[in-house]
Amino acid sequence: METQLKELEKSAVSEIEKISSLEDLKNLEVKILGRKGELTGILRGLKDLSPDKKPIMGKLANDVKTHLEEEFRLRMERLEHDAIKKSLSVEFFDTTIPPKTKEIGHIHPLSQVQEEVERIFSQMGFAIMDGPEVESEYYNFEGLNIPKDHPARDMQDTFFVQDKNDPKHGRMVLRTHTSPVQVRTMEKYGAPLRVIVPGRTFRYEATDASHDTTFYQVEGLLIDKTISLGHLKGIMKEFLSRLFGKEVKVRFRPGYFPFVEPGLELDFSCLLCEGKGCRVCKHSGWMEFMGAGMVHENVLKSGGIDPKKYQGWAFGFGLTRLVMMRYGIDDIRLLLGGDLRFIKQF
Amino acid sequence: MLVSLNWLKDFVNIIVNSEKSSLNKVVVGYVEKIEKHPNADRLNIAEVNIGTEKVQIVCGGVNLKEKIYVAVALPGSVLPGNFEIKKSTIRGVESNGMICHLSELGLAKNDGKHEISIIGKAAPGTPFVKTLKIKGISPEDLRDLLTLKTAEVETIEKADKYLQKVVTGKLLDFEKIPNTKYHHKGTVDIGGKIIQLVFGSVHVAEKGWILPIALPGAHLPGGEIKEAKIQGVLSQGMICDDSELGIQNSSNGLTVFPEGTPLGKPIAEILGIDDFILEFDNKALTHRPDLWGHYGIAREIAALTDTKLKPYSPKITVPKIGETAKVEVKDFELCKRFCALIINDIKVGESPEWIKKRLSATGHGTHNNIVDVTNYVMTELGQPMHAFDKEYIKTGLIVRRAKKNEKIISLDGKERILDEDMCVVADHEKAVGVAGIIGGENSEINDKTTSIILEAATWNPSILRRTSVKLGVRTEAVQRFEKSLDSAWGELAIKKAAELILQLCPSAKIAGPMTDIKKPDLDKKPVKITLNVLKAKSKIGTDISISEMKNILEKLEFKVTTAGKSSLLVTVPSFRATKDVSNEDDLIEEIARLYGYDNIPTVLPELPTKLPMENPERFKKHRTRELFSYGLGFDEVYNYSFYGKSDLKKSQIPDSHHIKLLNYLSEDQTHLRISLIPNLLKNLELNVKYSGEVKIYEIGRTYKEVGQFMPLEEKKIGGAVLTKKKTDEVFYEAKGAIESFFDKFNITYKAVKGTENAPYAHPVKSITYLAENGKTLAQIFIAHPEIIKAYGLEKYSVAMFEINFTESLKLEKRGKTYKKLPRFPGIDFDISVVVQKNIEIETLENAIMDSNKSLITNVDLFDIYEGPNVEKGKKAVAFRITLQAQDRTLTDQEMLEVQRKIFSNLESLGGTIRGKN
Repeated sequence: METQLKELEKSAVSEIEKISSLEDLKNLEVKILGRKGELTGILRGLKDLSPDKKPIMGKLANDVKTHLEEEFRLRMERLEHDAIKKSLSVEFFDTTIPPKTKEIGHIHPLSQVQEEVERIFSQMGFAIMDGPEVESEYYNFEGLNIPKDHPARDMQDTFFVQDKNDPKHGRMVLRTHTSPVQVRTMEKYGAPLRVIVPGRTFRYEATDASHDTTFYQVEGLLIDKTISLGHLKGIMKEFLSRLFGKEVKVRFRPGYFPFVEPGLELDFSCLLCEGKGCRVCKHSGWMEFMGAGMVHENVLKSGGIDPKKYQGWAFGFGLTRLVMMRYGIDDIRLLLGGDLRFIKQF
Repeated sequence: MLVSLNWLKDFVNIIVNSEKSSLNKVVVGYVEKIEKHPNADRLNIAEVNIGTEKVQIVCGGVNLKEKIYVAVALPGSVLPGNFEIKKSTIRGVESNGMICHLSELGLAKNDGKHEISIIGKAAPGTPFVKTLKIKGISPEDLRDLLTLKTAEVETIEKADKYLQKVVTGKLLDFEKIPNTKYHHKGTVDIGGKIIQLVFGSVHVAEKGWILPIALPGAHLPGGEIKEAKIQGVLSQGMICDDSELGIQNSSNGLTVFPEGTPLGKPIAEILGIDDFILEFDNKALTHRPDLWGHYGIAREIAALTDTKLKPYSPKITVPKIGETAKVEVKDFELCKRFCALIINDIKVGESPEWIKKRLSATGHGTHNNIVDVTNYVMTELGQPMHAFDKEYIKTGLIVRRAKKNEKIISLDGKERILDEDMCVVADHEKAVGVAGIIGGENSEINDKTTSIILEAATWNPSILRRTSVKLGVRTEAVQRFEKSLDSAWGELAIKKAAELILQLCPSAKIAGPMTDIKKPDLDKKPVKITLNVLKAKSKIGTDISISEMKNILEKLEFKVTTAGKSSLLVTVPSFRATKDVSNEDDLIEEIARLYGYDNIPTVLPELPTKLPMENPERFKKHRTRELFSYGLGFDEVYNYSFYGKSDLKKSQIPDSHHIKLLNYLSEDQTHLRISLIPNLLKNLELNVKYSGEVKIYEIGRTYKEVGQFMPLEEKKIGGAVLTKKKTDEVFYEAKGAIESFFDKFNITYKAVKGTENAPYAHPVKSITYLAENGKTLAQIFIAHPEIIKAYGLEKYSVAMFEINFTESLKLEKRGKTYKKLPRFPGIDFDISVVVQKNIEIETLENAIMDSNKSLITNVDLFDIYEGPNVEKGKKAVAFRITLQAQDRTLTDQEMLEVQRKIFSNLESLGGTIRGKN
């Protein structure tokens, strides 16, 4: 009997291995382990054995059964796995069909960059300020140390508004820069001050691919007791590096703006060539970015701040230019053109 | 502003690297012996010790003598102008080099004299450059140095950059090309080669003339010259006039070289164009009146490179007695100083080459020697001048305000009508010039002028600027005067001009003393400023020693004395004191820029202990954009703040309450917007060309005239929903957008039918959202059919909205209270009712809610249907109703009871419940 059992075990194992369909495997299982199967057939002889052999054979038969059941289970798993695998390999699936999405809208690139700028400056402790777009000559010019007949007024061709005249504030203009908010903020909050003012500005100049009547600027103002030009370098380097997501260098050049003294222009290292010189930076290695300087004492006085106690700097850069630079936009008029083929790209 | 490097060299020792290399073979020589050349009267033979040997050189210098040190260019030297020195035989005598004048080495101006330069003692054979003790600098480095420390130099370019491949050529013959209007075919000898070219007849050319010819490959300002067929005729080059070459050489615009000029020679060489031109950004010089001339720039370069600046001292003797110009200044407000000088016996003629060359290189035209001299002095010193023909000046000059409607014909031939705010120079009969801006034709220098009055005045910058703007005349003179010039320049300018005129017209004589009329307090004490050194350090942000500050200021010609441990008393030089430098901060700028902005360390300021003020509105604007764009699928547009009359007409907005522009650029930008709607309609008009589905919004300001000085600026959100289908769905989409916005910011509102002050809105298909205080928060509407028509949108359905963002946010309620989640299951069931079409959904919803206010937790409209299977004039409306109790699971019985009540409520409105047995 022992031989029979061993034989059965051996032949069954080899048969199981040969089987390649689930159905055949089930049939084989019935044939060998079923109620009328071969193993049962052999076990019928158990009753004829001597009492001392019975338990030994019984255990052996049980071991064989357990072993074979395990073999069947493993084979079964294998075959099921193969079957799934096979079904997967034959299934046709086109991954190139365009996606089904609910079309989401687009936020204008000016808004996107503006938010980024506001976020970075907020993180550096700057408050975000606002001021009127239709502004008095006083705040737009005189308050900023740009008296009447000053040649600097040439630099800012101005839109004037009809029939508005005030003895103190002069005529009314569309603000030519965000700088009027400097004086307004000083008047309202006093020193110390740490603010930026992003906003819409206007220039009376003919439009072309790089000039528009309407554009956006960001004004910055930091006033406290010991604020220096070194801090301006620090803040701008940090801001630009965060904005562009890489280490950016900044440099100062002398520049002239009546509301600052010393007056500066700030350049940053060309993002493309990193200072080596390329077409984008006109081979200088630097990109012109903004005007800045230490706030002129007359401006501090206009804002009611004592220049003996407080000092600080101001800057103004073109948000519109930044947007154009970032996305490679070559025509400024697209920004306020309302063409959705443009806006949907952002 | 254009600045010539060669011109700067009159005042400062500066050498650019490319020239330095040309001086490689120039050494110091010691003239040991000279003897007369046997075959030439004006030549000498010099024996020159050049260290290693003694060489023989033939020299024509009139001041050559023995025992002097000279600069010797040895054979192999290539001097500026591409002039190569070779070993040669001059009239039978061997010559091994050239004894040079500094001008031949590009180190000084050529004054036309046949002199050599006698230099300081140095060991013979020493490279000459070493004796100059000047550092070479590359053109790019000079540009960067000035840009980083003084003012932006936009370009530095070799003056002959357009003249490569432009040579002299003799026009041998030409004829008109048949059947053309003005084309000529000509042959030109370019030195051993004859070429054919086609030219127009802009300038009258004659056979035998030697002209500038651009050969193929030349890059002119207008582009590259190529061999081409013109009118079917081969053209191998181009005859160029001055403007085509970017030079200003000849007064009539075409340079004709004298007979005998070698052919095929580069014209740059013949014209001696070996200069570098720096172009400054004028804006960067706005505050620096002192930099509007070469001398000022030279002064900066001297300070930047630690080089000595040569004094500006015209060598001229003004007679103590004689005829003086009679000048009367009526009002010193107009003019601080007026200097005048009479010069007689002048001869008007063409200026010498060196003057023309310099004026041309710096972008000036040339006229005649007198006018050129005044321009020369202006370009050199920065002080504009004027020369009157004395014959036309009656009695004397008067500086006065113009009379109302006083007329003058200016030098450009135009009649100018003046007023009392302007200032003129007049004689006793008439105005002879608009002061400091443009001269009058009536006293212009002409060929017959023999006697002149030179004027150099210091005019009131503001008056000149206003006059210039009013008259629309922007001359180089006013450009300088408006910056506030140093009154000390008047006298200098007169003397320099006199010196030049006497040099150019040897016959000329200064008639008498210079007239010098000054405002009484003009020679007041110089401007003195106390500089707090600690303040300067604190503002610049770095530790600069007091001695370094002193040194920097002194280099810039400030006088500095120490006034205590940490303060300096600084006297501002007159040329910086007019406006530019008036306070401590101005001095700090001088120190910072010369110290070097690059040397200031980069540091972050400490964060303030006081947190910045919040700007919730800004923050919410960005959140609103996310809601509209990313949540509701709208695209954000930006529009101009203006629109025009035709937009008002199309959108039917009345003209009232608008702020209007005084000056505008186009007719569609005349009014400041009081509504975002018109520009959004324009956006629709544009975008339907590309898409049948448009959903846009804009967050922007409106500007309303409210009878006060400042207009009312409010932030609005405007939007539009457009679809190709004929449907009112767009209205409900817009309504959804607005209500989502209100929900997002938790704003309570009341909706009422119709709109006010919205002529562009459909009168019925519209709602207004009001705040509790009655203020309008928003309007939604289907666009009025007339508006639809005006914008050509008849094929589309359009709903629009405008939200008053500023007002709405005032009502924002912070925080919501949480409702407990239901602990017991609810029951949903659907109801469909057929009612009269004109019963509003809100009425039905109220009828449903009234059935059981405590159990009905939600009523959801999910269908409105009209059409087949529903009686005409009626509609089928379907709702999903949710019942829920807080304390128990509802039974079927309870549900049926509520349902029955709903049915009866709806039936009492005349409704028929569908599917009810």
